[in-house]
Amino acid sequence: MLKYLFAKNEDIPQGSAAIFFAFSSIVWFVVGTGLGSFNAAKLAFPDFVTGSELFSFGHMRQVHVLAVIFGWISMAFAMAMMYITPALGNTKLWSEKLGIWNCFLWNIGLSLGLTLLWAGITSGREYSDFPWVIDLYIAAFIALPLAINVWMTILKRRTQGIYTTNWFFGAGVFMVTIVFIVGNSPEWFNLTGLSEAYMTWWFAHNVLGLWITPIAAAIAYYTVPKVTGNPLYSHRIGHLHFWSVVVFYSTPAAHHLMSAPLPEWLKSFASVEGVLILVPAIAFVSNLILTMQGKWHMFVENVEIKFTITGVLMAIPLNMQGGFQQTRAINWYVHGTGWIVAHAHLALLGFSTFLEGAAVYYGIQTILRRKLYSLALANFHFWFLLIGFSIYWISMTIAGLIQGAGKIYEVPYIDVVIAEHPYMIARWVGGTLVFTGNLVWLYNMYMTARVGTEIPVGRLPHEMAYER
Amino acid sequence: MGWRTDSPLYSLTDDEQNKVAQGVWEGESLGGISEDNNRLPVPVVWLLGLTIITAFAITFPLWGQRPTADIYLEYIQNMDSPAVQAIATDAGKMEYLVNNTKDDSLKPFQERHPLTMDDLRMIKAQVIELHNQGLDLSEYTVIGDKVVLANFEGNVKPDGTIERKQPWWDKGYTIDIFYVTYFCIAVLIAIKRLPHYSWKPDHSIAH
Repeated sequence: MLKYLFAKNEDIPQGSAAIFFAFSSIVWFVVGTGLGSFNAAKLAFPDFVTGSELFSFGHMRQVHVLAVIFGWISMAFAMAMMYITPALGNTKLWSEKLGIWNCFLWNIGLSLGLTLLWAGITSGREYSDFPWVIDLYIAAFIALPLAINVWMTILKRRTQGIYTTNWFFGAGVFMVTIVFIVGNSPEWFNLTGLSEAYMTWWFAHNVLGLWITPIAAAIAYYTVPKVTGNPLYSHRIGHLHFWSVVVFYSTPAAHHLMSAPLPEWLKSFASVEGVLILVPAIAFVSNLILTMQGKWHMFVENVEIKFTITGVLMAIPLNMQGGFQQTRAINWYVHGTGWIVAHAHLALLGFSTFLEGAAVYYGIQTILRRKLYSLALANFHFWFLLIGFSIYWISMTIAGLIQGAGKIYEVPYIDVVIAEHPYMIARWVGGTLVFTGNLVWLYNMYMTARVGTEIPVGRLPHEMAYER
Repeated sequence: MGWRTDSPLYSLTDDEQNKVAQGVWEGESLGGISEDNNRLPVPVVWLLGLTIITAFAITFPLWGQRPTADIYLEYIQNMDSPAVQAIATDAGKMEYLVNNTKDDSLKPFQERHPLTMDDLRMIKAQVIELHNQGLDLSEYTVIGDKVVLANFEGNVKPDGTIERKQPWWDKGYTIDIFYVTYFCIAVLIAIKRLPHYSWKPDHSIAH
């Protein structure tokens, strides 16, 4: 990477920025899930690593969360944008050099930010935990350069039309920049109390709703037609999906604070909008499932489709949960319990991870023109990820229901802790399976880059991967 | 831009403009990807309609609201009575109060928000003071040991103040109705500007 930082843009091979983002994202995924496994072990076995403030749960939890969001998920998105945006416009990335600097500064800033969090220097606001200096750094050196590169690539495209994926990419980098700057305003303007709480959850909701969910979906809009060779089922449903994300996902932030003294009309408004996130979800799932017509055998045979369709199917429980758990009727029971932790992992480790995992698999092979080193290891990764995630999600959902009952019926807290213990052990087992799968993935992709068989001109990687 | 409005549910674009759009649609390969022009399947349209109705139906403020002070007034008025004082335990006192309320209309709320004698003692003075001032206790919510003016915004009362009771319908839903309506209109316009779904693009031209 370092040799390209000061090279001329023309001298940098196409796809370099995407490759650096790809490997960075996998490494951060390994780090993030490793930390997750460590933290889960602390909940399952309370005597595990005690006596050090640095390794206490309160220090480590936020490092895990932000390593996964900013390291794995967002860098994998950046990777996808670096190669898919130009591919859909039949052009090159506007600036490989900007992309490489973006990746370099992203890694530096994230390492610095996570180190500060680890040391206990934090804003104390969930999901926007970074101190304000790091927030400014992220806005200036991470979000903005990415946005400029994506917008300029779309503007300089060689097609008249813009494919659905690029609507989401172009809008997503715009929306996340606004969400990030406005959402972190409590720190810059010293907002406190209810204003701070609302802005915190406005950020937390929208970073999911206007960044992670739509960009992951945009990737699926590329992967499924590209790999199956089928046309996207409906351009019209793409419109419905895109506009319903923008309209319905941007408004329900207050549903995270149903028990707070916000105006009740705001909660009612947000709660209806919260259920209406099912509109984009229905549009997305139906469009992709119908695109698969005649190619369902690839769900079994093809790694990228296996990952993508698993992610698409996870959008169903994800949005059923997300849509209804925020209503007054259900929120009073599950709020503040492990149910919400399970839901958050369904969004990030389930739905989103499977979709962008496919993009990273496909992108690395396409850009490097190297056949996947081992299909067996890729399948190992898939199943460890799926089984590990499922154990995690199911155990935490049950634990959440137990906590909810304990909360409502005023069961002594320690009794709830004892009742949850088996599920905390299951959570650790599930998280550790995911971490193990990711280690194997890193090895597989490293070996793909080093010794993967070259893909001949005129062939696509997914046509080749099964000839071994 | 080529608009036509004679058959808005069929198309909002004139034939010339549609021809241009169809030419671009069929003539371009977007990174090797093509798109079909299928309509949203009818069952999915019904599902979306059901989703919108459900969104309003399930979020009505029927559940999960905080208890109002009026549901505990009778408990508080009776808690110092000789009959209650004669009972030895707090649990017994509370059971007596619950079983001897006269106003049955509050029963469902009392069952949904049970409390202990200690809880009652903490809010007793505040509830009595508000009651003595002649205020409507159903406009006050009980939050732990505090009795505070509810943050609902209902109808305007004759004296110009706002009713602080949970309405069955509030302005949040009104905003939602306009919001959803505008969304449906805007998306319909966007979609009806595309070539009609009966037109199937030929992907062999660009690929």
